[in-house]
Amino acid sequence: MASLFGYILKTPVVTEPLSSGNDAQIEILARQIDDRAGKIFGRSLHIREVDAGSCNGCELEIGALNNPYYDLERFGMHFVASPRHADCLLVTGPVTRNMADPLKRTYEATPAPKIVVATGDCAYDCGVFAGGYAVVGPVSSILPVDAVVRGCPPAPREILLGILAALDQRA
Amino acid sequence: MTIDSPVMLDLFLVTLAGFSTGAVGALITARSPNWARIVGHGGALLGALGALTFALAGLAGGTMKLDIPELLPIGGAVFGVDRVSAFFVALTALGAIPAALYAIGYTREYAGRHSLAGMGFAFNVFVAAMVLVPLARNVLTFLVLWELMSLASYFLVITEHEREETLTAGWVYFVMTHAGFAALLLGFLLLTRATGTPSFTEWSAAAARLDLNSRNLIFVLLALGFGSKAGAIPLHVWLPRAHPAAPSHVSALMSGVMIKLGVYGLVRVAFDWLGAGPLWWGSGMLIAGAISGVLGVLYSLVDADLKRLLAYSSVENIGIIMLGLGGAMLFQAHALPGLAALALLAALFHALNHAAFKSLLFMGAGAVLHATHTRNMEELGGLIKRMPQTALFFLVGSLAIAALPPFNGFLSEWLMFQSLLLSFQISAHTINLIFAFGVASLALTSGLAAACFVRAFGITFLALPRCEPAARAREVEWTMRAAMALLALACVVLGIAPALTLTPLEATVFDLMGAHADVKFNLTAVVADGGFGWIAPLWIAAGLVVFLLAVPLSLRLMGVNRRQRSYETWGCGRALQTARFEYTATAFANPFKRVFVLLYRPVKELDIEFHPESRYFVRTIAYYNEGRLIFEDTLYRPFLRMIQALAREARALQSGNVHGYLVYILVALVALLVLTV
Repeated sequence: MASLFGYILKTPVVTEPLSSGNDAQIEILARQIDDRAGKIFGRSLHIREVDAGSCNGCELEIGALNNPYYDLERFGMHFVASPRHADCLLVTGPVTRNMADPLKRTYEATPAPKIVVATGDCAYDCGVFAGGYAVVGPVSSILPVDAVVRGCPPAPREILLGILAALDQRA
Repeated sequence: MTIDSPVMLDLFLVTLAGFSTGAVGALITARSPNWARIVGHGGALLGALGALTFALAGLAGGTMKLDIPELLPIGGAVFGVDRVSAFFVALTALGAIPAALYAIGYTREYAGRHSLAGMGFAFNVFVAAMVLVPLARNVLTFLVLWELMSLASYFLVITEHEREETLTAGWVYFVMTHAGFAALLLGFLLLTRATGTPSFTEWSAAAARLDLNSRNLIFVLLALGFGSKAGAIPLHVWLPRAHPAAPSHVSALMSGVMIKLGVYGLVRVAFDWLGAGPLWWGSGMLIAGAISGVLGVLYSLVDADLKRLLAYSSVENIGIIMLGLGGAMLFQAHALPGLAALALLAALFHALNHAAFKSLLFMGAGAVLHATHTRNMEELGGLIKRMPQTALFFLVGSLAIAALPPFNGFLSEWLMFQSLLLSFQISAHTINLIFAFGVASLALTSGLAAACFVRAFGITFLALPRCEPAARAREVEWTMRAAMALLALACVVLGIAPALTLTPLEATVFDLMGAHADVKFNLTAVVADGGFGWIAPLWIAAGLVVFLLAVPLSLRLMGVNRRQRSYETWGCGRALQTARFEYTATAFANPFKRVFVLLYRPVKELDIEFHPESRYFVRTIAYYNEGRLIFEDTLYRPFLRMIQALAREARALQSGNVHGYLVYILVALVALLVLTV
């Protein structure tokens, strides 16, 4: 027990120091999204994430949107468990054969008005998976896409910019 | 023959004439199943209508004394009526009128397979006996009618005697009801000897002179006898077998009405015949009620057989009624007559309400059985689309039994809570703790009952049908729907118009206890104990209706997008959505099975048959998750084994050797001579 406490005392801070300067931008961005969403949907933005065949790199970045640093929930943005509750579909990955039909069904099940954001290079043009036997094509070959976020993977801030772009297109 | 009040006698005779017409008419028209069906149950309907009028006249204060010494030995057949009897006759009629109407349609499918004349005859005898039991005024009259009621219902239970499980159910019912009968007989004989009279009306005065030990013994015997008919745990084992096996209109009557006659007996024993007893009578009744309530609903919650689920739920509701009876006895023992009357009022009110919603639910289950020929909830589903009216009636019954406003179950359970909570006026810690146990059990019971009926309604009526007959189900014919509609209406009326039922009930309780219940009520509101708790059922109902209308209206006013688009149910994007993806009854009950694992002790088995080439490919998976029945395993089986062992021992005496028997006779003769000299 004593050694444990000793270990705790001796260990320095191992997390990286926060890079400064980004906070205010994120807040401005998120407020803008919330504002646009309020105008289009009459409420804060509800997002359904669909992994259509991603390597999960994009998912890590999307997951980061809910971490204590970005903390999207403070702006009223929710990741929801069903497309029935969603206003926005955040689609990642090249669309695989097995996910093409579920993706279409998800889109159909989302109540209008809705926006679709293709997230990551794979969602844009299938990335390194292009031409694979299991890949049907980019998201835009299945669904009408409102905005594309490039990057492999895109940073959380870029994802927010993509959502904002999609909303601006509708407004 | 001595009588008074000719009007009451006329009504009484009209009632009997109705049942006789039904019984005899069914036998006369035996050649034509259609006529036997209509005449038999039509006669019962007339008799039940007569009984209702008779009971209402009785509740209004009419009295009757009918003495026919020629009919039976030892005091003759004696009938009388007071408000308590009239109340239980009214309760019987409330169940019997819709049951007879329902039976006209329901028994159609028995034509050609079973004798409709026999069913009609037994049905009339059964209902007539239930009407007469509360009117009996001496031991022999009561016991004859009680046995008639049991036998008639036994024959109705084994209607579908070609099935093995029906015969087993009938046998268990037969044994349990006669064990109860034996206890009653013994209790009555002891009480008759001690008081010197077999007349019920004289017991109340005479019993006060008895010594405590014999009163205790008589109380225990009578409570066991009536408790076995009421279905209190651990004497409940016959209910979950007999009620599913019986035709549904009979189950409705057995569960809605017949077990209430056990309650009638308990009320008579506790508040009339034996007078106030020691504290443990009331405590025992209250604790037995609490245990019956909680265990009854827990068994009900995990059962996949729709009718067995309802039977266990009856055990639960009898528990709730017994909570009220026990509470009333304890209040009486602590010289709080107003509260005692309130608790008894709540118990009787709940008995009446249970008769309404449980009959309704059994008829709903019967309609489902009629349409799909299965009681197994795992095979049902989607019936709300195919049988919308039955679904609506079953929903009303479910809401009422789950004690949700504005239905009747809510009102009586609310009164029960008030009466039990008012126990703080007793200043004895042990008794307070017992009441607290009762309140906690009642709260747990109500909550679990709500879960139980979400499951019963949801799995049976919602989503997709799980088998071919359920997919082809058709709405049942109008007599059955009319019967259910009557009871659904009763559930609403009893729930929103308290004054309608509480006025006669209050008078009934006053007759029995000699004190007014601590409750005030008018057309819209009920107030318990001078403002301790109050409620306005009519305004709650009005508020709910207004709220339900206000939601769409305000959405429209707010200009919310109301465009509609029909699309398939969201199934996580699956290409194939079949009934096999649905939430099953077993799955719904599984969390409860885990929490209450001590009670259920489930035996889980998972049989997986793999492909011979590779274990990565599965051919079949079989999953069993059977609960065990504690009382059957720990109480009844050891007892049965003991009886069997004793019987084997006794067989040694039955050698079959004539010389041996001659020796027995000689020994008996000598012994008798020695005894007499």
